[in-house]
Amino acid sequence: MLVVKNLSKKYEKVEAVKDVSFEVYPGEIGVLLGPNGAGKSTTIKSIAGLLRFDGSITIDGKENKTIGAKRVFGYVPESPAIYESLTVWEHLEFIARAYELKDWAEQAEKLLVRFDMDDKKKMLGKELSKGMQQKVSICCALLINPKMIMFDEPMIGLDPKAIKELKDIFVELKNSGCAVLISTHIIDSIEEVWDKVLIMNKGEIKVNRTRAEMEASGESLEQVFFSVTDKEEGQ
Amino acid sequence: MSALLFIIRRSLKNIIKGVFKKFSTLIGYIVVIAFLALTLILSMSGSGGNIRSAPPELFNGIAVLVFTIMYYTSLSVGIEKGSTYFRMADVNFLFTSPIRPNDVLLYGFLKNIGGTFIMVILTFFQIPNIKNNFVLQPYGIWMLLAAVAAYALSFPLISIIIYSWSSKEKKRRQILKRILNIAVLAIGAIALISLSQTRNLGSTIETVFNNPVFKYFPVIGWTASIASYAVSGFTPEFWVGASGMLALIVGISIFLYFMKLDFYEDVLVGTEYVESALKAKREGKSIKFNEKIKNKENFKLGGKGASVIFSRQLLDIRRYSHFFFIDSTTLWIIIAGIGFRFIMPDEVHDFSMLLVVCFSVYMLLIFQMQGRLNTELEKHYIYLIPASSHKKLFYATFAEHVKNLADGVILSVISGLLFKSDIGTIAACALTYIAYGGVFVYTDVLCRKLLGKIHGKTLVFFIKLMVTLLILIPSIVSAIVAGAVTGSEFWTIFAMGGTGLILALTLYILSAGILDNIEVAG
Repeated sequence: MLVVKNLSKKYEKVEAVKDVSFEVYPGEIGVLLGPNGAGKSTTIKSIAGLLRFDGSITIDGKENKTIGAKRVFGYVPESPAIYESLTVWEHLEFIARAYELKDWAEQAEKLLVRFDMDDKKKMLGKELSKGMQQKVSICCALLINPKMIMFDEPMIGLDPKAIKELKDIFVELKNSGCAVLISTHIIDSIEEVWDKVLIMNKGEIKVNRTRAEMEASGESLEQVFFSVTDKEEGQ
Repeated sequence: MSALLFIIRRSLKNIIKGVFKKFSTLIGYIVVIAFLALTLILSMSGSGGNIRSAPPELFNGIAVLVFTIMYYTSLSVGIEKGSTYFRMADVNFLFTSPIRPNDVLLYGFLKNIGGTFIMVILTFFQIPNIKNNFVLQPYGIWMLLAAVAAYALSFPLISIIIYSWSSKEKKRRQILKRILNIAVLAIGAIALISLSQTRNLGSTIETVFNNPVFKYFPVIGWTASIASYAVSGFTPEFWVGASGMLALIVGISIFLYFMKLDFYEDVLVGTEYVESALKAKREGKSIKFNEKIKNKENFKLGGKGASVIFSRQLLDIRRYSHFFFIDSTTLWIIIAGIGFRFIMPDEVHDFSMLLVVCFSVYMLLIFQMQGRLNTELEKHYIYLIPASSHKKLFYATFAEHVKNLADGVILSVISGLLFKSDIGTIAACALTYIAYGGVFVYTDVLCRKLLGKIHGKTLVFFIKLMVTLLILIPSIVSAIVAGAVTGSEFWTIFAMGGTGLILALTLYILSAGILDNIEVAG
């Protein structure tokens, strides 16, 4: 579903991402782990089509910047930025129009109920707390019924109930055949849900393993993470 | 496009609804609009152009000068970060949606027309000034507004093109910035040489900026030539300017609309900058773009207890200053103060130093509204330092006084030399600057103590401004009395500064307790 081949991204002379390749298949949850400055957000932004890059990225077989690819992927950014002068409901209506969705209202209602936002439908963007803005951002990404979805540090600012709902949603998305890519540096937050781990450091993917491979080796995610990042620091 | 039009339509509707929901905001808008409308009607009904019939050349020169400054500032930001029509919400929702980038750009363009509308309204209310000084052509005002609109529409387009080219290599960006800076320095040097010869700002503007090279200079000259219709009517340069700007805006738009666009990355950094600038504005802070911070090892913290606050601020000043205490504020205050003296009529030139100091302290009032103390009070450290509130307030504001002393002395000495003033008047001028600086600092502190936390930074700004002006009444009155009685510039400025000093000390004593806790500080 998501195929990233030889992705490189330079800012001036700094190589933020160096020749990165990986895939996330339908029904798979891939997690992009790494310390601050590892290149996770640059990778996600490149996949979302926000940055120019070298290499190739395809989503559902289409080049990521094409209209066809954009129609099938969802993106939840690291910092929720929503329209100050649109209400919560109008955000969903706007997404429905942008993606030309049909019969979306019922699903929108359900999403708002799940995230305890159904009583805040008429609140303007500027009246929402950061956590609520994050919830709107998540609802908007889920409304399009994506075939591939990316979450960039999605748990930040969410209350415990919303975190639980989001974890359930990860599993539901996986079960529905959606390819999920989550970028985070908090290992505990994705411990129960991941299928494939991609550990990044200094712009490169140092580890690309499935849960089965990891279980067979008897190592925990945390052990592998620190063995990679500490080794790099020591060099 | 339906989704894009939906955002524009709904946003507008919600903004208008929001104004009607908040009664106080509505009243505020009504008062401001009524005030401006009244000014406009009164000026329109008067006999325009009879107060001071300035030559059309002066108007044309001012137009070139104003547009040069406007294009220079906006393009230099554009080169560095790419100007942007967008907000982060657009980046997160629109840039990732299945909408053609060209349509997204068109949407940004439409949004910018909204911003242009505000600029046009601001220009609209300059009409009384223009009408009082120049004889206007029929429909002249509309052409002036068209020039402003042409500027607001063209600079983001030019910025996008320039940024797309220059962002690929750091060298390109440096070359462009250098060209822009050299061009502006050259213009400034030509203007200064002319000013030193004529000693008259008006005639310098007339001679330098009415030069055909400026009038026909692409973009800047073209935009100014559209504005020049207001006083000069249909001239060859108007036609060149109008057709040039039309071709430029339409040409770049068509080019951007039909080409295979990949501009998202180009506007991303600019959008992030705009977002942080807006956030800072909402919090009542100022954001300085791309400011260089000198991190030298010999800049060290000193002091113990409360005095460490002063030491930290001193370090801050040294890291941001070009040369110890001299920074952009110093330069702006000097330029504004001395520039103000030059635009005033000859009849009041006997009081040159007074004019300089009055306008400089006015500028200081604006600058100091977002001063160092603001930054200090919003962090928790100052409340935790184990020292008395008075002591902490003294040290927290001391750096501001030292900076004002440096700025005041530089301003006074330069103006004194320029206008051949005596040492006493120069010293009185510096004293007034420092004393008024103190009044502004402690009025701000007192307002925080008395008013506590008020929502709406604009309202706070307005209240502080009003309170400051009220507090300064005794000082202004004493200066007027001293001037009327003695007829001497020295005694006028000295009375102003002396009473200012007494006011500053009184306010300092009254401000005790501000640092007891974060709630008192508002």
